[in-house]
Amino acid sequence: MGSDQLDPIIHAPARLRIVATLAALPDGDRLSFTRLQDMIGLTPGNLITHLRRLELAGYIATEKTGNGPASLTTATLTHEGRMALDTYAAALRALITGL
Amino acid sequence: MNGEVDSPETMTTEEGDVFDPRAAAALLEQTRERAQRQLDMRPPLLMLLAAVLVLLCYGELWLSVRGQQPYSGPSGTALVVLYAILFVWIAVVAIVVGRATSGVSGRSSRQKRAAGITFATIYVLVYVFDGALNVAGAGPAIVYGIYPAAAPLIIVGAAAAAYEAGQEHWGWSAFALAVVALAAVAAYSGPVNVWGVIGVGFSLLLLARAVSHIRHGQRAARAHTDGL
Repeated sequence: MGSDQLDPIIHAPARLRIVATLAALPDGDRLSFTRLQDMIGLTPGNLITHLRRLELAGYIATEKTGNGPASLTTATLTHEGRMALDTYAAALRALITGL
Repeated sequence: MNGEVDSPETMTTEEGDVFDPRAAAALLEQTRERAQRQLDMRPPLLMLLAAVLVLLCYGELWLSVRGQQPYSGPSGTALVVLYAILFVWIAVVAIVVGRATSGVSGRSSRQKRAAGITFATIYVLVYVFDGALNVAGAGPAIVYGIYPAAAPLIIVGAAAAAYEAGQEHWGWSAFALAVVALAAVAAYSGPVNVWGVIGVGFSLLLLARAVSHIRHGQRAARAHTDGL
């Protein structure tokens, strides 16, 4: 088993926690940036960086509504993101079984 | 990476940190469990509290009507205690649901809000109908006994069973159906004992549901852990 079998986008502690947390929501539901930050315990800057990385890969979608202090940013796991997490979990399983 | 990029023991992240598969599996499992717990609107503790409050509510109503001959219904004091307990319950549910759904939006959360409003409306209308029975001349045994004790559980429970079945939440649907069956059968025990029978029965069903919810969570966690 090689490292290339684990999706490098997900295989990072912070991004794995983001994806696993969003996967706990029903399909199509969104989580606000502040709640996600509260649940994961990352700094805003760190969270933004990892969300961007996941969004670029098409695993999550973010949406910003409103302006100024009233603005609200939400994130949701895309269908591709959910599939990628399932594939990642299966690859982990195969790796651990093979250890 | 220590020159061992293909060894799962030393697998590294894009950022160059070591993150081996076992640690990743443990983190994935912990995060899943934690997120599900934080987003759960019906945690086992809430159900345990519901079991205690149901026993208190129906129990004190049963005590207040016990030995009445003829039957006249729960006393004013019993109703004041009932409303106080209901107030506490509504406050606790509002806090728990508020915490679980904070920051969550989307189709399923809209559905849950709409369902909550619908169930609350049905619950109120069940009592409006009780008023109609009173106006039509139904006796205290019906208006202040069998109907208010059993009808809300039968009608709201039936609606809940259908809703949960539609969501494919079979455990919750079966629980709601069991509550409907309990209330329907308990109605045969008469206007006095219906309070006691439903109080004990509903409380036991809530306890069983809380235990089942905990076991289901443990089984799911074990399945994920075994799977990983």
